[in-house]
Amino acid sequence: MKYIGVILLVWFATNRAGQDIYVCKNAVVTLYSKAPIEDIDARTDKGTSVLNTATGDVAFSVPIRSFKFDKALMQEHFNENYMESDKYPQATYKGKLTNKPDLSKDGTYPVTVAGTFEAHGVKQSRTIPGTITVANGTISLSSEFMVACKDHKIDIPKLVFQNIAETIKIKVTAVYSPYK
Amino acid sequence: MKKPLLLILLLFTAGLLKAQTKTDSTAVATSTDSLMKTLSAPTKGEPVIATFKATRLILSQTTETVKKKELNFLVIHRFGDIGGAAGGGKTLWGLDNSSDIYIGFEYGLTDNLNIDFGRSKAEQLIELGLKYNILHQKTDNSMPVAITLIGKTALKPYHVNTNVFDDYSNRLNYLAQAVIARKFSPALSLQVSPIFVRTNLPYPFIAGNQQNVFALSAAGRLKFSKRMGLVLDYVHPFSNFRDNSVNPNFYDGLGVGIEIETGGHVFTINFTNAEAISEFNYVTNTQSSWSKGQFRLGFTISRIFDFNKKHKSNY
Repeated sequence: MKYIGVILLVWFATNRAGQDIYVCKNAVVTLYSKAPIEDIDARTDKGTSVLNTATGDVAFSVPIRSFKFDKALMQEHFNENYMESDKYPQATYKGKLTNKPDLSKDGTYPVTVAGTFEAHGVKQSRTIPGTITVANGTISLSSEFMVACKDHKIDIPKLVFQNIAETIKIKVTAVYSPYK
Repeated sequence: MKKPLLLILLLFTAGLLKAQTKTDSTAVATSTDSLMKTLSAPTKGEPVIATFKATRLILSQTTETVKKKELNFLVIHRFGDIGGAAGGGKTLWGLDNSSDIYIGFEYGLTDNLNIDFGRSKAEQLIELGLKYNILHQKTDNSMPVAITLIGKTALKPYHVNTNVFDDYSNRLNYLAQAVIARKFSPALSLQVSPIFVRTNLPYPFIAGNQQNVFALSAAGRLKFSKRMGLVLDYVHPFSNFRDNSVNPNFYDGLGVGIEIETGGHVFTINFTNAEAISEFNYVTNTQSSWSKGQFRLGFTISRIFDFNKKHKSNY
């Protein structure tokens, strides 16, 4: 029996770092672009995110298939023709906070994350500004940034280019809860 | 002896792990990675989308349905024989003639249930149908195929001087069809489809012609670019009368074409021996043969109109 106690003690000791890890399983991601004929506007709340306040690690992942459009046909084309979600099911961001605010106090902290954004199988180094808000101990992160289709080898055929803007505005919001 | 050994081993590995997390920052990154992996792992298979670009290939309907509150407007055209007696330069290789023209509307009552209406030049056939996508193929292969059921009623409204339509029921025809499709890869989709056609007064009006014909069709699409694909479409009716008939001869419908998607439109440009567009006509009554040059240029235009209300933009 005492062995079990010791093992448990060791286990707790090694996992103490877990207190610094925050996760979000329903991060909201919206994408928007204005185009002459029709605006593109889609939203998902199926994003996942991990924030490690000790190391400043930030990670995001969004299933491409979960984006919902007003027009079913637009959603199909988004998956089938542009994002090729069969081949590249996720868009991800992995980075590190360049400045680490003290998140034990309530407040709004502007932050910058340096890392890698991957969409459509193409990785791009991106430094993205965002805002961390701590309210009653709950940490949330929001950010807004632009993605150029050509940076991720997302082809827009000449035949339909008027329908689609070449840069897409992405908005991300995650409300975290402590892991375990 | 075993227990202390196990404990030492555990302590050792635990200490090692702890040391690693303290000294090596990449170890933390990998733990974030593995945490992300467990969090974002797909829980179940999603329905496979875009098995086909449109609800029609050349001859066949696909498993695809028009989504809720969308209207698909179809214009399908078949020109005259390119070769043979009716073809050649005198008809500009069939372009002077139209063997059939079909105007159709397909509306999404739900994402899976469509109501279809169409009118053909051939037999002046008016048809009304329902199409229901009963099973979706799943990305995790828990369901390997998509299945769509089609039921149609068709009416021949025209006036004739003979007494063939004295009985009104002679004008009516019915179709029941199941379409089974699988998207094997983003580029390759194949389908097979058993078809049952009931013609109350079988056409052509020849003694021995059968009212009930069972047929099997096979079709596929191979994309060679994101928006273009090669389409092949074939149908074989199982009918003793058709197999044995010499005058006229009956043939299986076979079409080959290119499919082009431009956003809201899907175009198919094809060559087929079948003169007619509606299943009621081409399944049971294809009398022209590829080998006699009796094939024709044809096209299908499919345009989707969306009647869904737009939600208010977040921007």
